[in-house]
Amino acid sequence: MTDRRPRRPAGPRRSTPLRERLRGPWRIAVAEASMRPAIEDGDWLLIDPSVDRWPRRGSIVVFREPEGDALAVKRVAAGPGDRVPFADGFLELAEDEAWLLSDASPEETVAAGFGEPVDSRRYGPVPLELLVGRAWFRYAPIRRMGRLGERRTRAS
Amino acid sequence: MSRLTRWLAPSTTARAHCDLPCGVYDPEQARIEAESVYRIIDKYNASSDDVYRTRAIAIKEKQAELVKHHLDVLWHDYFKPEHLEKVPNLHELFWSATKQVSKVKASTDIADAKKLLELIDEVDAAWKATGGEEKTRVAGRPS
Repeated sequence: MTDRRPRRPAGPRRSTPLRERLRGPWRIAVAEASMRPAIEDGDWLLIDPSVDRWPRRGSIVVFREPEGDALAVKRVAAGPGDRVPFADGFLELAEDEAWLLSDASPEETVAAGFGEPVDSRRYGPVPLELLVGRAWFRYAPIRRMGRLGERRTRAS
Repeated sequence: MSRLTRWLAPSTTARAHCDLPCGVYDPEQARIEAESVYRIIDKYNASSDDVYRTRAIAIKEKQAELVKHHLDVLWHDYFKPEHLEKVPNLHELFWSATKQVSKVKASTDIADAKKLLELIDEVDAAWKATGGEEKTRVAGRPS
């Protein structure tokens, strides 16, 4: 990131009423490999669907993809109001948008037998209304059980 | 699956989304559609039946669109930046080939269709030069 703002939640709150958010999902199974090595294909994660705004940078989120509405999991690389390097310049995210990226590089996903990662570089900024929850804990497989850490990401 | 595991298993799946290309590519696909276009123009010019000629134009349009589609798939999905070393004129080649498709759509001149076939053969050469024949066909290409 080029700016030095603290990595705390920013932006407006979700308009979805809490009661609706609490319906979940609370647990998800992950498919595909674009979040390797942090999350593997087949991991089971606990989700906090009560989050009311974009979690801070480095958090892992579950959301609906802008293209096709599929439920997806990615990492927040930049949040509301941040500037993201894009093409030859910058893209300034709106107050309700986040830039969500994969952890794995194209080489890594291809090596794992998948195609190139699909994320904000493909479908652009993701609006808050598509946020579903924050992934915070892996409960299976048992040998890799534990809290999901935050990670510094490159916002490119 | 034990009862406990079944009880613990999430009922929702989220994708750590990657593309899922089948990894099978061959310029032959574009070539065959381009050959239809060639043959249609040939038949168009040989006929004096207006109904037949109108149909030929409509079919040519459709086949040409398929050529464009197959070329696009090769360009976006098969060719990778590192291939530019072996085929430095790759982008120019695809640009002229897809442009040529548009030209053929608007034309009934057999020379235009011929030119398209030649450009597809150049794409084929690029595909071969980058190991496409060995890598993207199941168990190599039947000879």
